Amino acid sequence: MKMSASLYRFLWSGGLALSLCACAAVQHTSTHFEPVAATADATQRVLAQGLEIQLDTGYRRSLKPGSHWIDAGHVPQGEVYKPYKDVLTLEGAQIHEAYLVVDGGVLVGFYLPAERGFSPLGQRPAISLQ
Amino acid sequence: MKFLNLALIGAVAVLTGCAASGPKFSVAEASTPKLNSDQGRVYFYRNSSMLGAGLQPSVVFDGVSVGKSQQGGYFYVDTAAGSHEAVTSTETDNKVSFVLDKGEVKYVRTSVSMGVLVGHVVPTLVGSDEATKELAELSYTGVTTK
Repeated sequence: MKMSASLYRFLWSGGLALSLCACAAVQHTSTHFEPVAATADATQRVLAQGLEIQLDTGYRRSLKPGSHWIDAGHVPQGEVYKPYKDVLTLEGAQIHEAYLVVDGGVLVGFYLPAERGFSPLGQRPAISLQ
Repeated sequence: MKFLNLALIGAVAVLTGCAASGPKFSVAEASTPKLNSDQGRVYFYRNSSMLGAGLQPSVVFDGVSVGKSQQGGYFYVDTAAGSHEAVTSTETDNKVSFVLDKGEVKYVRTSVSMGVLVGHVVPTLVGSDEATKELAELSYTGVTTK
C-alpha cells in the first residue's frame, strides 16, 4: 500500500512536471512580411547539412540534410524560407506553423505566418541553404 | 479470475466502441468532391492507437466544432485561404495555428499525450507524405464544409 502511494505520487509529480514544462509560450512579435512576387518562380534551396535547433520553449527541432526550402519572401529580420512539401512547427504552450528566417547565413528565428509574427531564436546556429 | 476475464471483455468492447467505423480512406477518397479553386482543404485525423481511446474531444476549427478526434478516424474541412486555428479541449485547450493557400491541402493529426489528471489530445501539423501514409488505414467519420 505504501509502495502504491509512492508510485502514485511519483507519476503525478512527473505528469505535473511535464505539463509545466510544456506551458512556455512561443514568444513572437508582429512583423511585416513581404512575399516574393506572385509571378516570380519560387526559388528552391537545399539544406546542405542537417541542423539541430534548440527552441527557447525547451523543445528541439531537427532539419534534415537535403530537405528543400522555398524562398517565400522577407521580413525586416531576414529572408524567409518555407518547407517544400513538408511542414515546420514551433511548439510551446501551443503549436504554430513556422518558416525559417535567415540573415547572413545564420538562422535568426522563425516567421509565424498565421500570426504574422517573428519569433527570435536565443541560440542562433549557422545554416547553409544552397 | 472469471471477474478479470469479464472485465477484460468489457474493456475491449468499450474501447472498440470508441473506434471510428466508416469507410476506409482508400474507398472514401474516390467519392470525395474536388476542391474548389478558391478554397483549401484540411484533413483532421487520429491514428488507431488504443492510448486514451476514451478521450474524444471535439475539434474546433476557427471557433466552430467540425468533428470529433476519434481513434482511427478522419474527416476534412474545405475552407477559405488565410490564417486558421484548430483547438481540442480536455483539461486544457491545445491549439495549432497555420495558414492555408488556395488549392492547398494541409493535415492535422490529433494524438493523446500525458496530462495531470487526464490525457491531453493535441493537434499538430503533419507533412503530406507522412499524413497520406497514416490516413490509408483510417475510417471516414463525416463531412463538414465551412
